[in-house]
Amino acid sequence: MNEKWIDTNTFHHSEFKDIGRLVAAKNEKNLSISLCLPTLNEERTIAKEIVIMKSELMTRYPLLDEIVVIDSGSTDDTRKIARSYGVTVYQADDILPQMEKFKGKGENLWKALYVTRGDIIIYIDADIKNIHHRFAYGLLGPLLLGDRIRFTKAFYDRPIAIGQNKLRPTGGGRVTELVTRPLFSMFMPDMTQFLQPLSGEYAGYRSIFEKIPFHIGYGVETGMLIDIHRKWGLDVMAQVDLDRRVHKNQDTKALGRMAFVIIKTFLNRMETLERMRIQQQIHDEMIQYQLVRERLKPENYLLEQHERPPMIEIPEYRQKFTRTAAGAKVPL
Amino acid sequence: MEDYLNALPTFVHQIRKIREIIISNIVLVGQIPAPTFQERRRAECLVERLSEFNTDECVIDDYGNPVGVLRGTGKEKGAIFIVAHLDTFSKLEADHHYEVTDKIISGVGVSDNSAAVGVLASLPEIFKQLDLTFESDIVLVAPVQSLGKGNLRGIRRLLRAWPGPIRGAICLESVELGRLNYYSSAMIRGVINCSIAAEKQLGRHHTPNAILVINEVINAILGLRLPQKPRTQIVIGKISGGFNHGKIAYDAMIGFEIRSDSDEMVRELYSDIHDIVDGINKSFAVEIKLDRISNLNATLLQHNHPLVKCASRILRRLEVEAVCDPSETALSIFLQNGIPSITIGLTLGENFHQDGAMIEIEPMVKGIAQIPALLMAMDKGACDE
Repeated sequence: MNEKWIDTNTFHHSEFKDIGRLVAAKNEKNLSISLCLPTLNEERTIAKEIVIMKSELMTRYPLLDEIVVIDSGSTDDTRKIARSYGVTVYQADDILPQMEKFKGKGENLWKALYVTRGDIIIYIDADIKNIHHRFAYGLLGPLLLGDRIRFTKAFYDRPIAIGQNKLRPTGGGRVTELVTRPLFSMFMPDMTQFLQPLSGEYAGYRSIFEKIPFHIGYGVETGMLIDIHRKWGLDVMAQVDLDRRVHKNQDTKALGRMAFVIIKTFLNRMETLERMRIQQQIHDEMIQYQLVRERLKPENYLLEQHERPPMIEIPEYRQKFTRTAAGAKVPL
Repeated sequence: MEDYLNALPTFVHQIRKIREIIISNIVLVGQIPAPTFQERRRAECLVERLSEFNTDECVIDDYGNPVGVLRGTGKEKGAIFIVAHLDTFSKLEADHHYEVTDKIISGVGVSDNSAAVGVLASLPEIFKQLDLTFESDIVLVAPVQSLGKGNLRGIRRLLRAWPGPIRGAICLESVELGRLNYYSSAMIRGVINCSIAAEKQLGRHHTPNAILVINEVINAILGLRLPQKPRTQIVIGKISGGFNHGKIAYDAMIGFEIRSDSDEMVRELYSDIHDIVDGINKSFAVEIKLDRISNLNATLLQHNHPLVKCASRILRRLEVEAVCDPSETALSIFLQNGIPSITIGLTLGENFHQDGAMIEIEPMVKGIAQIPALLMAMDKGACDE
């Protein structure tokens, strides 16, 4: 196990708070940067994320070149509010419409590759209550100030909001500690150095993201880490401490379904990597029980595994983008 | 002379163009809790923001007030102050995360006075976008310890220590747009606490009930005769006490405010309340105590003072109706010190001191446009007497 990685490739956002320096590095490398916000019914948080990122990292400092919202079909005012602040908003189903349609965060991230134009893409969840521009510049810092790092992932303290005006100071990351970390410890101990492998905030070069498959749902983070590790190794990856992140709480049953998908994604990858042979069919249904009138009733959730192929394999994408001399991609 | 009025449409247009910066400042500053006496973190954030926006001098003074100075071009001119009090009524542990939509910003303390503080932080950038420079130094200050027991100590101390002349001041309040305050009533705020001594809590018959004792105090206050002239009012605005439904209350309190056009009348009524408290103390044999929390003298800028006329004209040009009431804010401290000043409101809002406090974004554009217009006029001497 490469135990040094956690020392050499772990950063704190404050190391990159000189945003002028990041802009200079970006210009020197002739790069463009896209911020993608995947949404589903985020009318309470989306505007704040857009406003802060736009004012601090576009208007005041030209660090971001575009902010793009990819929506999974919100039934609230998410899209209307986002548009009112002048960012580009897409419905995921409208992107590459000839392809089979799926719903999920991973689907939005994958389709963002097709509609954004940045050489670097930064993904930030849209449900963060304490959003701050450090979430973006912290993740971009290692990518811009060095030549080695190609992918960065966030970690943080994670208090969770429990109802009106109440915060629980510890918690969050339960699926990480109960599922992902044990699995990584058993099969890929190097990866245990990622303190929050399931965090929803990460950034990387297009040249990385376009070459890996995207799980369409909760498995996207797990699959992404394993795939980048397998293709380019741990040294191109880094993690950045973003301090505190306050987000919505999820009940245990919802976390159970999330764990189901993550375990399935992990097992799928292990099989693909020929590290494991599973000798029976893995079922797609998560069965949970609920007490109804003093009787336990099963609730079956169909959690199918769908994965998008590397975007570079999609002909429309290859037609839209061409390679420059520097290796970066720009739209035609 | 009417340059500042003619510039208003441009100001409104340009300010709307940078609304994201203004909203960001409101959110980033306002999400830091700042109950009175615990404003340090918010003060540091504000000074950092002012510094990032290239304010010439940024400092937290010895008393904890964050201050930014935009240096003027004329050495001889006195400074013009823009003030928005930093502290809020909300508690440290409340969830201060704000929500923003296309129309509103909501969250604890946003309407008193976090939106105004966020606007204060944005002023250097607003002046830059409007291509405005001034002969006077513009002093941006968010005084600490303004509310309740703070008794406006932050601004009192700052003015006492300020080394140079001051031409005038604009005090900013988040709400309501159209507010134009240029006088303050004489005021004393007090609390009356009643508590039953431990030895009387042993369950014997006729244990005094603190709530009933406080009720006697209220009835006695309501019996005071108040003159119609000078205009005088006593407001009992806070009450608490007791433990649960079935227990005799061992403690109770009320908070009140005496307001009048006359300093003398306020002092006399406070003295009457003091006598009431003394009398009840003796008749009920309980511990009942009166404390003065804050006080202000009556101050006035004449309604035909050039600064007031100028502010009225600006509101009229913006098609906003002016509402003139007395205000017990930093305004009264400036006026006490002989400095012409007014308080203006920046936008519309609801639920000022409750959960669900919110302000509207679009009206804020007009509200903010008042500031550069007023500064232009004041800087050119249009508001000097």
